[in-house]
Amino acid sequence: MSLLSLIVFVPLAGALAILAIPKTKIKAIQGFGIAVSSVCLALTGYLYAAFDKTTAGMQFIEQLSWIPAFNINYFVGVDGLSVALVILTALLTLVSLIYSLNITLRVKEFFFWFLLLEAGMLGVFVALDFFLFYVFWELTLVPMYFLIGVWGGPKKEYAAIKFFVYTLFGSLFMLLGILALYFNSAPHTFNMIELARQGSLLPLNMQIWIFLALYLGFAIKIPAFPFHTWLPLAHVEAPTGVSVILAGIMLKMGTYGIMRVSFPTLPAATKWFLPFLIIIAVINIVYGAFCAMAQKDLKKMVAYSSVNHMGYCMLGMTAMTTIGFNGAVLQMITHGLITGSLFLLVGVIYDRAHTRDMDAFGGLAARFPIFAGLMIIQVMASLGLPGLAGFVGEFLCFLGAFESWPYYVAVSTIGILVTAAFFLRMIEKVFLGPFNEKWAGLKDMNARELIAIVPLAVLTLAIGIWPRVCLDWINPTITYLAGLMK
Amino acid sequence: MTNILLLNPEIILACAGLLILLSGAFICESRAKLLYHLGIISTIAVLGMIITQALMAGYGTGTMWVIDPAAQFFKFIVLVATVFTLMLSVNYTGIRARHIGTYTALLLWASCGMMLLSGAMDFIYLLISLELISISCFILTGFEQKNPRSAEGAIKYFLMGGLSTAVTIYGISLFYGATGTTNLFNYATAVELHIGDPAYIMGMLFILVGFGFKVSMVPFHFWAPDAYEGAPTPVTAYLSVASKLAALGAMMRIFASVIPHQEINITMLIAILAALTMTLGNLTALFQTNVKRLLAYSSIAQAGYILIGLVVAGPIGRESVMFYSLAYLVTNIGAFAVAMVVAGKTGSYEIDAYNGLSKRSLGLSIVMVMFLLSLAGIPPMAGFVGKFYVFASAVNTQQFLWLAILGVVNSVISVYYYMGIARRMFFVGSEDESPVETDIYAASVIAVTAAATLLLGILPETVMRIVKSCVAFHL
Repeated sequence: MSLLSLIVFVPLAGALAILAIPKTKIKAIQGFGIAVSSVCLALTGYLYAAFDKTTAGMQFIEQLSWIPAFNINYFVGVDGLSVALVILTALLTLVSLIYSLNITLRVKEFFFWFLLLEAGMLGVFVALDFFLFYVFWELTLVPMYFLIGVWGGPKKEYAAIKFFVYTLFGSLFMLLGILALYFNSAPHTFNMIELARQGSLLPLNMQIWIFLALYLGFAIKIPAFPFHTWLPLAHVEAPTGVSVILAGIMLKMGTYGIMRVSFPTLPAATKWFLPFLIIIAVINIVYGAFCAMAQKDLKKMVAYSSVNHMGYCMLGMTAMTTIGFNGAVLQMITHGLITGSLFLLVGVIYDRAHTRDMDAFGGLAARFPIFAGLMIIQVMASLGLPGLAGFVGEFLCFLGAFESWPYYVAVSTIGILVTAAFFLRMIEKVFLGPFNEKWAGLKDMNARELIAIVPLAVLTLAIGIWPRVCLDWINPTITYLAGLMK
Repeated sequence: MTNILLLNPEIILACAGLLILLSGAFICESRAKLLYHLGIISTIAVLGMIITQALMAGYGTGTMWVIDPAAQFFKFIVLVATVFTLMLSVNYTGIRARHIGTYTALLLWASCGMMLLSGAMDFIYLLISLELISISCFILTGFEQKNPRSAEGAIKYFLMGGLSTAVTIYGISLFYGATGTTNLFNYATAVELHIGDPAYIMGMLFILVGFGFKVSMVPFHFWAPDAYEGAPTPVTAYLSVASKLAALGAMMRIFASVIPHQEINITMLIAILAALTMTLGNLTALFQTNVKRLLAYSSIAQAGYILIGLVVAGPIGRESVMFYSLAYLVTNIGAFAVAMVVAGKTGSYEIDAYNGLSKRSLGLSIVMVMFLLSLAGIPPMAGFVGKFYVFASAVNTQQFLWLAILGVVNSVISVYYYMGIARRMFFVGSEDESPVETDIYAASVIAVTAAATLLLGILPETVMRIVKSCVAFHL
């Protein structure tokens, strides 16, 4: 079994093994769950070290015949586009599980669904067979439904079913697109690399329809305007650890899908759609930022800032250049780290104060220095302060897009401005000003929370100062991909 | 009559039914459950015969019936469903001990009719097998004598069934008038002669009505929810699977193979009926609060998906019908088995009975979620591969892409009510938290169907190869 299969199937086996532990042995379940996802992270660490940075092609390939009747293979591999996302997935899952140790309700089921979710997400990023990709894609759906629905906030049930129905709607159309690609290839294949080679030969008309079908699936996940309406609800209602995964990983499945499949496989349709994509990106940026501005609820604000940040990512993608693509991929990674930790930090304050209304706080910086420090680092990173990770990704996205779309980029800068405004306003309301004595009894962050958040903060700093820890892995593949799009 | 030997499995099953009926008169009530076991054993024996015959490549033909791999495939489905139904019946409380012999015999005869139907190559023969199924099923539906709903369901089923039979017979007479034969073998050689003959096309349409009734195709589905709700639950499972799939198998033989629907220009009609079937089934299921009715409407919708494969016809369409049938068999029987166990504990088929089930029996809840996901078509379950196959056949033709799109939209709608049950099991609490026990018979049915649901979803290759070779041999 190759390294990648191990990475995917360790959490899956772990999830099944958890079912065998009696549900009263909470400590054992938690310990086992954390151990499984730690092993998974260690394996991805090895992947990071063993990855060959000089080549653009697929590595760690494993290909086995699965359903020969439809020429479906179990085909996995990683390249620069996916390797960082695989590592990010393993990292954020472990971090979320550590944070979620405070969950006392139905612990066994929680860890079961969470590990199943991890397997699904990892599978999406390593699958190179479109059928396999789809199976993993859908495999993330059911665990997420239960994670939101059982452990979520007041409107959890509605949020869960809305998430499920919305995403399924998109992914089933994606399935039709996949089938159309399959039947238009000769010999019929689901092999993504082979499809990328053949897809460009399709007539434009056909490409456009297939692009639309795939785009529907991906855009709902991103979420691109106007398919973003499930996001605030799901992100806000989900428990903290799950919000981290939703924002940190699952949104990236959409942008990853577009870059992995839609762009290289349907280049003519991509060109045809570019003007629309850039408009959608700009709307995401500006509209997302203004929506975030309007929120008083901290978690809702972070949720809408995700809409805005995924807009940057799409902006980088529409550049169709190496710089823009690099920016887009880096933005996926840094948004995962930054927004992930923002959700955790919001969780920290909510666990203590049982409110997320920013007007209810004030002057927290003096009493909770660690919490305030971490929050300010991540907020600054999110609004794009140079020296922190968010800046590099956003800068590259804008730089790449500026070459081809100067006016749109100019409009998008409004988004940056508003982002800075709402984040700074939040800092002012929550951390500065007179201290609200109501919160005098609260304690600063505990070890569990620090173990979860500090690694993300360190990485945010590290990537901000030395982006090559990420970019060197991404760049060769991206250069190749951008070359294809010329 | 030289080929009467080809009907050995049917003959044996019918004789076993007679034997069981007879023993039912003499057996004392405390031991009556023995008859179920007798029924199970004889069905399994016949199943064994069918499987060995399927391994003989090629096909035998009679004057009125055929044995080809496709027919054997649907016989297999019917017999497996029969075994499961009998196993579920063992501990079902709605059937009186002194009626067990009659009940088992009727079930075997209905299955016998379905097996005959699978190989029918003559309209008279087909009519007889349809009647054998119908009459047995009418009685089975009304078997819970003390339950007025059971009687109501049976009467509705009977009246609608009688009407549809009358229409079918009229159709056959028109067909005979136009072509001079009821035999499909002789007919198949002279297909061009009759194209455009109105009497002939009318005849085929009326015959389609007969099938539509059995398949619960909209607009001939009105009997289904009431009959399903009233019938003893094992019978409901049986009706929703065996009788529906056997009719689909025969419909596939006649309308997609012997007389392709494209040649008599009723393709668009069947396509529209398929679209209506899945859409109306799903939309109505959304509002059900009784699990049996919900599964009844869901099974109407499922028939709609399968009909897509029939509309597409061609090899891939027929393969998808067969694959979907098998996936639907294991999934739906499993879902009904869970429903029966839950109702056995709570005494209610209302959807509220599922509140907090995950705390009362986590295993049962997880398995039920698997069945529901499979019905909704979510990987890695059997139903997903079935839908994948059906949609693939539609996308392949391009002409029926719209059916695939409609099917996709319907799948999304269906998630809402399927997950509604999952929601009650996992998200809602209940006052009664006493554990739900599953008796050994129901438990084994659930275990086997759950394993098959998962296995068909993850490793569908074997079955795909079987259906491919079946279609390749199809007469």
